[in-house]
Amino acid sequence: MANKNKTEFRIRNSELIRPDLSVSFAGIKLKNPVLTASGTFGYGEEFAEFVDLNKLGGVIVKGISLNPIKGNPPPRIWETPSGMLNAIGLENPGVEVFLNEKMPYLRKYDTAVIVNMFGYSLEEYIAVAERLDGVQGISGIEVNISCPNVKAGGMAFGTDLRATFELLSAVRKTTRLPLIAKLSPNVTDVTAFAKAAADAGCDGLSLINTLLGMAIDVRCGKPRLANCTGGLSGPAIRPVAVRMVWQVARAVSLPIIGMGGIVTGEDAVEFLLAGASAVAVGTANFINPRATLDVLDGIEGFMREQKLGDLREVIGKVDAG
Amino acid sequence: MRSRRLRLPLTRLHQALIVAHKSVGRGYYRLVLKAPEAARTALPGQFVMLRVSDTLDPLLARPFGISAVISRSSLELVYRVVGKGTTMLTTAKAGQTLSLLGPLGKGFPLPDKKTIPVFVAGGSGFPPLHFLTQRAGSRAHLFLGARNKECLPPMSIVRSFKENTDNVHIATDDGSAGVQGTSTDILNAFLVKMEQKAHFVLYACGPHAMLAAVSRIAAEHAIPCYVSMEERMACGLGACMGCSIPMKAGGYKRACKEGPVFDSLDIEWSEQVRLNLPSVRRS
Repeated sequence: MANKNKTEFRIRNSELIRPDLSVSFAGIKLKNPVLTASGTFGYGEEFAEFVDLNKLGGVIVKGISLNPIKGNPPPRIWETPSGMLNAIGLENPGVEVFLNEKMPYLRKYDTAVIVNMFGYSLEEYIAVAERLDGVQGISGIEVNISCPNVKAGGMAFGTDLRATFELLSAVRKTTRLPLIAKLSPNVTDVTAFAKAAADAGCDGLSLINTLLGMAIDVRCGKPRLANCTGGLSGPAIRPVAVRMVWQVARAVSLPIIGMGGIVTGEDAVEFLLAGASAVAVGTANFINPRATLDVLDGIEGFMREQKLGDLREVIGKVDAG
Repeated sequence: MRSRRLRLPLTRLHQALIVAHKSVGRGYYRLVLKAPEAARTALPGQFVMLRVSDTLDPLLARPFGISAVISRSSLELVYRVVGKGTTMLTTAKAGQTLSLLGPLGKGFPLPDKKTIPVFVAGGSGFPPLHFLTQRAGSRAHLFLGARNKECLPPMSIVRSFKENTDNVHIATDDGSAGVQGTSTDILNAFLVKMEQKAHFVLYACGPHAMLAAVSRIAAEHAIPCYVSMEERMACGLGACMGCSIPMKAGGYKRACKEGPVFDSLDIEWSEQVRLNLPSVRRS
């Protein structure tokens, strides 16, 4: 009898109930909605000292191309108010090194691995996607059509509706893995690109990538970055990202990974309310290597505080009148 | 907090208590942070990332070379106020805590008993070398260069050389202290005079242009040379790929991970000239 009373008390007191944070995203089972934004978390190993990767919803790895890329000359980064510009130039060791040296480490963990990939031509995108298809331990592919820091590839595809559709359609045919398109915010109407991705057969969307920006050293009259322009990330871009997630969530039915300046659990909840089913922590990993876990704790704390038991009670529930 | 420590015993993320924080003159500050785990493992040439405030502007942590380990439990950082971040840091008071990540990177190869270390510091590049001078022995030489007397690090910081001032060589661009010229001018003049250079090893820290010159002088005199490279970085953990140093063998290495100390022969110095021309694009 005493035990029964205790149980009832536990159920009534929401503080003691662990909210269900699991979510199915584009067919990928995630323990919780917290992922890592590509390019801010390396290949997971760099952060394993600070974060138990098993606790994350998943890891979206740094972008992979067919061949190794050496990246842009320095300076590559510049801090701006509550944000940073970067022009790394997609430096990466190439798909073979990734599969041989990075994947074995990630496979040790019980966490979803989503591989961000890109190419300098349609053929390269297809070749990388083919190589990733069927590899054990890969849960999905995030196609980067939105990097602002390389001339060919990247944003050149992601800011042209027809190129977006054709590229994503071609990649779709090469893989059975869940396909997520990472969209560029550097367009007038992001919903048109979201629709093109949906029409091409994508399973989900990531938004947003960085905003194209520039900073100038006024004393010497030169750009701060060797690449002149770079991608703006961090808390400075969060309102833009939340707006775009909200617009796209209303326009298409594909699930969305929301990202852009998330530092706290409340930041993440903003994206969930706007319509994202999952979130990715990016630049915050640089200022706090435990940021992903802090965001996860924050989301859980919010759900408890609001006495919510399931993420579905949050996703897309902004009251926009 | 305690349970977290137990779960991740090897973490380099610390809440460091400010033990002392004082201006030491000429725009330099001395900051002593209690971080026993970091102090126990820190090596000369390594650095820490410090968040200067809990706010999001400035956003990024700042890298600081470790200038000393004090009573095995604290790290000493000597920094010069150069911008928004360091200005904000000057307001931090003893008793407060700061988020500290480190020690990070690879340090200097330690001199052995035969080695005669020659330290070359330009601008505010002295702190990481100071840590190394503690293990350098009495035969070491120090070359300091700055624009003028006011830009030199205060001599209180150069204390490890106090007893052996003959081995401290100073140059300023305007001649307001020491010899008129650059640290590399007086270094070169010194090496030209020396007949026996077999056991010399150069350790340099400072602006890129100075390091390039030191590297050239080292090559001319066939002396091994290790340089501590500075580059803007966001994470200090090898993830942001921001702090790239061009390598002679092609490609880049990260100052935070493979560096900040490199063998000067491995660096592609010509690329360090920063023209930032709009046409400079590589992909």
